[in-house]
Amino acid sequence: MTVKPPLSVDAQDEVTRMALWAGQLLLQHGAETTLVESAIHRLGCALGCDWVDAAITANAIVITTTSNERFVTKARRVVDRGIDMRRVSDVERLCVMAEKRIIDVAEVRRRLRFISDRARPYNRYLVVLMIGLSCAAFSRLAGGDWPVFAVTFVASAAAMLVRQEIAHKHFSPLINFTVAAAVATSIAALASAFRLGDKPQLAMVASVLLLVPGFPFMNAISDMVKGHVNVGLARWTFALLLSTCVALGILLAMNLTGVWGWI
Amino acid sequence: MDLSSLLLKLVDDAFFAAIPAIGFAMLFNVPPRLLKYCAMAGAMAHAVRLLLTECGMSIELASFCVAVLIGSLAINWSRRKAVPQQCFSVPAVIPMIPGKYIFGAMVGLVKINLGETASPELLMTTLQNALKGTAILAALAAGVALPQMVMSRRKPVV
Repeated sequence: MTVKPPLSVDAQDEVTRMALWAGQLLLQHGAETTLVESAIHRLGCALGCDWVDAAITANAIVITTTSNERFVTKARRVVDRGIDMRRVSDVERLCVMAEKRIIDVAEVRRRLRFISDRARPYNRYLVVLMIGLSCAAFSRLAGGDWPVFAVTFVASAAAMLVRQEIAHKHFSPLINFTVAAAVATSIAALASAFRLGDKPQLAMVASVLLLVPGFPFMNAISDMVKGHVNVGLARWTFALLLSTCVALGILLAMNLTGVWGWI
Repeated sequence: MDLSSLLLKLVDDAFFAAIPAIGFAMLFNVPPRLLKYCAMAGAMAHAVRLLLTECGMSIELASFCVAVLIGSLAINWSRRKAVPQQCFSVPAVIPMIPGKYIFGAMVGLVKINLGETASPELLMTTLQNALKGTAILAALAAGVALPQMVMSRRKPVV
């Protein structure tokens, strides 16, 4: 191992801050734990530390950097800010650039600020349209015909609008998913009430599929099989909790409309 | 089933699987230049899974095989584009996630609790939904993770 020049106290402090910030951004926007751990290590080492270790839990990160036998430890809270793969890829690219010595600490700080302030890439109404079409495509994959396709589109697009609106007002995702599921099911129940299409029940199933917490479920299992059982279990539990809320929303709407689909 | 109608079914399946792959990639804010890869992987995976189940393979095993394929593709693309493999693998897997079984199990659980007596059919359906959903989900996620675990083994520290 090559010996690196020792960092000053202030310089090591700044590197620690940057590595921690990068890790926080990754974990907040849905990166898997292995990626967060390696990104923190790579960024810290690229910016001049001898070694960087990170302790990652579901809602906090603690990291320790080492330079010339001196340890600096810092902790930061992590709150779920919603999945954003562009931010995750941008931070990943930043680590690679720092490793290739293309950017220094000051530039890393500037870029992290830019990444964290940057707006989301897609127009929200475009997302509503695409999610509506996606759920409609699910109904078609399950063997539905065109009237069911249309009802599913309307129901899931409406649910997506509601979901964005509630998320914008910073309500808990648990409340959000319950309400969105109730909205989707109530609209989809119209297909059964008016006997639209061949299998109107399919619309009720397909229109809530936008609320499947697929990303947390996938992350949970990939975390657990790669050795991060604690974060994986936390993610798994939260995904189950979200699914329970969706089921409650569905039951609420079925009670109100009197149309009993599903089972 | 003759060959041409099977082919038509596969193309139809691939097309309608590509739409949710793109839609959910947008929901996850995957960078716009990567959307076409998500669509390709999602369409291919869903169609191949249909082909495997048509050949008589169980849906869990078929999901696992297809997920391994997606995992390998995602590693390859993530190296070329210098982005995390999740950008490709999760949107591609989304059309195959058994949301119907997961929510069916949850709704069933609540309904068992609501009724005075739960019918054996309701108990059976709920249990089947729960097991089916978990099995397919685990197969998909483990399948995607497998290529990475084989490729990146733990290196000695020194």
